[in-house]
Amino acid sequence: MERVIKVARMQLINKWAFVGLPLIILGSAFVFTMTIFWIVRSAGGEGPLYGGGAQAPMWYFMALGIQALTLTFPFSQAMSISRRSFYLGTVLLFGANALGLSIFYYLMGLVEIATGGWWLDARFFAMEWVADNNPLVQIGFYFVLMLLLFMLGFLIATIYMRWKTTGMVVFFLGLGVVLLGLVAMMILGDWGDKFWTWALSWTAAGVTLWGGIVAVVMAGGSYLTLRKASAA
Amino acid sequence: MSKQIAISTRNLSKTYKDVKALSDVNLELESNKIYGLLGRNGAGKTTLMSILTGQGFPGQGEVSIFGHPPFENDATLSRICFIRESQKYPDEYKVGQAFKAAAIFFENWDEQFAQELIEDFNLPVKRRIKKLSRGQLSAVGVIIGLASRAEITFFDEPYLGLDAVARQIFYDRLVEDFSQYPRTIVLSSHLIDEVANLLEHVIIIDGGRIVMDSDAESLQGAAVTVSGSASTVNEFIDGYPVIHRDALGTLASISIRARLTEKQKAEALELGLDLSPVSLQQLVVRTAMGQSAQSRTTEKDEEAKQWSV
Repeated sequence: MERVIKVARMQLINKWAFVGLPLIILGSAFVFTMTIFWIVRSAGGEGPLYGGGAQAPMWYFMALGIQALTLTFPFSQAMSISRRSFYLGTVLLFGANALGLSIFYYLMGLVEIATGGWWLDARFFAMEWVADNNPLVQIGFYFVLMLLLFMLGFLIATIYMRWKTTGMVVFFLGLGVVLLGLVAMMILGDWGDKFWTWALSWTAAGVTLWGGIVAVVMAGGSYLTLRKASAA
Repeated sequence: MSKQIAISTRNLSKTYKDVKALSDVNLELESNKIYGLLGRNGAGKTTLMSILTGQGFPGQGEVSIFGHPPFENDATLSRICFIRESQKYPDEYKVGQAFKAAAIFFENWDEQFAQELIEDFNLPVKRRIKKLSRGQLSAVGVIIGLASRAEITFFDEPYLGLDAVARQIFYDRLVEDFSQYPRTIVLSSHLIDEVANLLEHVIIIDGGRIVMDSDAESLQGAAVTVSGSASTVNEFIDGYPVIHRDALGTLASISIRARLTEKQKAEALELGLDLSPVSLQQLVVRTAMGQSAQSRTTEKDEEAKQWSV
């Protein structure tokens, strides 16, 4: 456990990557969105305005997942850290980070509602579909989304670490085939309507639950892959 | 004080696709000694060290570090330091941050020693590691290796890109610090003569096989080059194992594996022969070349004779 904490401390040597950048991404997305909304309002636009900028830092987490692995893992090996400790420390730090940011999203959502959408009837943090739920589901939803993206990045990076280019080619070809198959089924099998009815029936709580399960499965997969990966 | 075994391997083998990277490596390294792991590029030095430090995976065989397998074993790993020759660092890391990380993990880390070394090597601590020259990058690895004072420290071709002055600083600092804080050092190198007098024990690896595993002391004077007129030389060396032959016209220069007695030396002088010691580098080169020549000519694989002197 001691070494797991040390791994988190090592990752934090560069606080910029874990704390600074996500906040800057979120901050600038927010400012840009609000500026655009203000222009729209000034031009006489009506009705609530929706902006998806809040997800910007989440995508950054995918890049962070890849980076944490491809560069920090070989270095952690030189620091004589077991793969297990490296994995746990990195995921732990990321989890704490994501939880902090999720709570921040929730709090900003409260402010957004209290200020009538930043005085512009804007929706940036508190999308009704999420914000209408209880606080726990809201925070859980953001958390799981970040976890999913981070784990996806982590998994891709572990596959790269272990099987290098061959792994990437096989992974993305496989992914392409699966996606193509799904599209074919929707179009040819006339499943399109059914799919959208089904997709729209999801609640935020459902996404949180199933997303959480998928994230855990990916976490397990990336750990098992990492166990046999080497840095060189 | 009884000798403690720091590293031991049993029947260690590793195959990459169809290349035998290591075959049947059996070693025992005592603690608190300086070992040289010598061999050509691609001989298997880094592969061996990776497996010893739990970073790589053996195909077959076992590794034991202070009696425990190193793989995924934090307690054992924490006693080891191994910076690769091609070590990667996080992209955005500055030099100082790499040392900060090392200070977190290596319990015996000596910050003052690290600072002295940084000054010795003129290393710019605020510069990003990405921007360092090859020599400066090597210096980062050398400093982590030295200042970590790990019970087992591996140096993987640590001098790449370092100039002669910096290399000498490394050798001097290593010896100084070793005398104060004895530990097991494994120095992998192909610049053999330069490190020869640091080493207490020499392990030579070639084509994945250990071809020599011997005390440095017993290697001193274990081979000699005899030069003079070809016929006299041939007569004189008759019966000794020949490492290498050079001939030019009627002159010959032949290296043999032998420890000559004073009487033999006097006799050689009388015959007008010239005797010169064979350097460790020559010995390694000849041994390695002899080995590969042998494995080319004879099909018998088990023939990689470990010769001891």
